[in-house]
Amino acid sequence: MIVASGLTKRYGDRVAVDAVSFAVRPGRVTGFLGPNGAGKSTTMRMVVGLDRPTAGTVTVDGARYADAPAPLRAVGALLEARALHPGRTARAHLRWLAASNGIPAARVEEVLGLVGLEAVAGQRVGRFSLGMGQRLGIAAALLGDPPVVVLDEPVNGLDPEGIRWVRSLARDLAAEGRTVLVSSHLMAEMALTADHLVVVGRGRVLADCPTADFIAAHAASFVRVRTPEPGVLAGLLRARGADVTRDGDELRVQGADTVAVGELAAGAGLVLHELGLVRSSLEDAFMTLTAGDVEYAARPAEVTR
Amino acid sequence: MTAPTPTAPVPTAPRTAAAPRAGLGRAVHAEWLKLWSVRSTGWSLAAMVVVGAGLTTLICALVADELSTGETGEPVGAFVTWGLLFAQVTAVVLGALTVTSEYGTGMIRATLSATPRRGTVLAAKSVVLAGTLFVTGVVTAVLGWLGGNPFLDAEGLGLSLGDDGLLRALVGSGLYMAGLGLFAMAVGLLLRSTAATVSVVLALVFVVGNLVVLLPGAWGEWLTKLMPGNAGGRITAVESFNPLLLGPWTGFAVFAAEVAVLLGLAAVAFARRDA
Repeated sequence: MIVASGLTKRYGDRVAVDAVSFAVRPGRVTGFLGPNGAGKSTTMRMVVGLDRPTAGTVTVDGARYADAPAPLRAVGALLEARALHPGRTARAHLRWLAASNGIPAARVEEVLGLVGLEAVAGQRVGRFSLGMGQRLGIAAALLGDPPVVVLDEPVNGLDPEGIRWVRSLARDLAAEGRTVLVSSHLMAEMALTADHLVVVGRGRVLADCPTADFIAAHAASFVRVRTPEPGVLAGLLRARGADVTRDGDELRVQGADTVAVGELAAGAGLVLHELGLVRSSLEDAFMTLTAGDVEYAARPAEVTR
Repeated sequence: MTAPTPTAPVPTAPRTAAAPRAGLGRAVHAEWLKLWSVRSTGWSLAAMVVVGAGLTTLICALVADELSTGETGEPVGAFVTWGLLFAQVTAVVLGALTVTSEYGTGMIRATLSATPRRGTVLAAKSVVLAGTLFVTGVVTAVLGWLGGNPFLDAEGLGLSLGDDGLLRALVGSGLYMAGLGLFAMAVGLLLRSTAATVSVVLALVFVVGNLVVLLPGAWGEWLTKLMPGNAGGRITAVESFNPLLLGPWTGFAVFAAEVAVLLGLAAVAFARRDA
C-alpha cells in the first residue's frame, strides 16, 4: 500500500504538488489521472525517493522507499521511458539493475520474455523505438517481483496491441494482490484499466473514488428534444419540475427521461422532430472537473483584422 | 518483436526469506557492470594506454641521442613517463562520463531508484572508477617505460626498476590517474554536463595550471605548486621539467586533499538535489 499524507513539492514559487493525501490499496488498479502538469509525475518521483518532498510524507508498505533493504524488490517503478544509456544493451541494463539489488541474473531473462524483448535483448537501446523502450522500462519495474508497482504513463508510445497488453498486465498484477498505481492523462484509458481513481489537477486531489462512482457522478446526461413549439413544451416540462434550457427549437432537459418527455408531448398533442438521450463522454466529465486546473491550456486563436 | 499473450501469468522470482541489503558491495557490482557495458569505457582506457605508452616510447626514441650529449639540460627521468601528460585527458573524460552520462541520458533516475542512498552510489562509483584508472595508469606507465627505455639504454641512460624514483613514478601514475578521475567525477556531479565538466577540468589542468606562474611573485609560485594538475602530476615523473613543483608525495598529498574537498562538496550537492 502506498500512503501519501500532506505531500507537498514546491519548485521555487511554483507549487507542483499541494498537500496531497491518498492511499493506494493492494488488489486493485488505481488510476492516477490528471492533465499534464497536474503533479502526477512529481508525486510518483517522490514515492521512489527521487524528489525530496517539501513537506509531508509518502510511504510504501509503511516504510520510506529509501529505507527498503532492496528497493527494487519492494517497489517496481516505470518513471521515464528513457532512464537508459543508449549505448547499453537491454540485457546489460537489466543485469546491472539486478546486481544492484541482489536479484539473480536468471530473473533478467524471465522479465525479458515477459515483455517480449528476448529477440532484441542484445541490441543497444539507443536503436529501440519508443514502444520497445517502454517495454524495457516495464521489464525493469517487474525485475524485483515487487508487491507494489508504479507505472507513469505506461501506454505512451505503444501501439494498440501494446496498450492492450499493458492494461491486462496491470489487471493481472492487481489480481495477484499487488498494489498497482498507473498514471495517465487520458480519461478513456483509465476507465478501461482502473478500478479506483485518484484525480489530480494543479497539484491537488480533486476526486478519490471508485471509477464507476466517478463516471456516474461526473458523466452527466440530458434529453435533447426538438419541436416546432419549444415554448409550450418547455412550460409543460418545467411544470413537472424538470430543468430546461432552450436553444432555438431545441430543448435540453435534465430531470426527466426520454419516456417522460415523449409521453408529456403526446398528451399535449405536440409534434416532435427529435427526441434522444445525450450522454456526455468521460473525457468531457474529466475536462469539466479539471477545467480550472489545467496548467497549460490552449486558447482559441483570436481573429485580428 | 513479438508480444506476449495478454493472458500469460506473471512469473514470479523466488522470494528469499530475508531480502539482502542493497549495500555497498552490490552497488559496486552494479557500477562495475555499468562501466563495462558501454563502449566509451573500452575506448577511453585503450586511448590512455596507446597515447600514454606510445608517446613515451616515441619521445624516448627521438630525444635519446640528444640527451646523451648532455647539452639539453633536460632530466632523463622526465621522459620515461612523458606520455602520461597527454594520457591524463582520458582519465578526465572517463571520470566525467561516470556521472555526466547518467545525467545526460536520464539513467541517474534508474541508478537512484535501485540504490536510493546517494552516499552509497557515490562511494561505489568512486571505488570502481579509481580502481580501474589506477590499474590502467600503472599499465600505461609500465608499457611506456618498457617501450621507451631501450632507446635510452642504447645511449647508456636507461633506468631500471631499482633506480631512485622509477617504481614510485610507475605506481604514482596509477594513483594520479585515479585521483584525476575522481576529481573530474566530482566536478561532473556539480556541473552535470559532460562538455562543461571536461572543459573545466582540462582548462584547470592544462591551461590555468601553466598560466598561474605569470602572476606576480610568491602568488604565482605558490599557485603553480598547488594547482591540482601540477601538485598531483609530479608523482608520475621520476624527475620534473619544472623545479618549482612540490615533491612527489607532498604534491600528491595536496592533490588528494583537493580531490577529497571537491568530492565532499559533490556529495553534499548530490544528496540535496532532486534527481
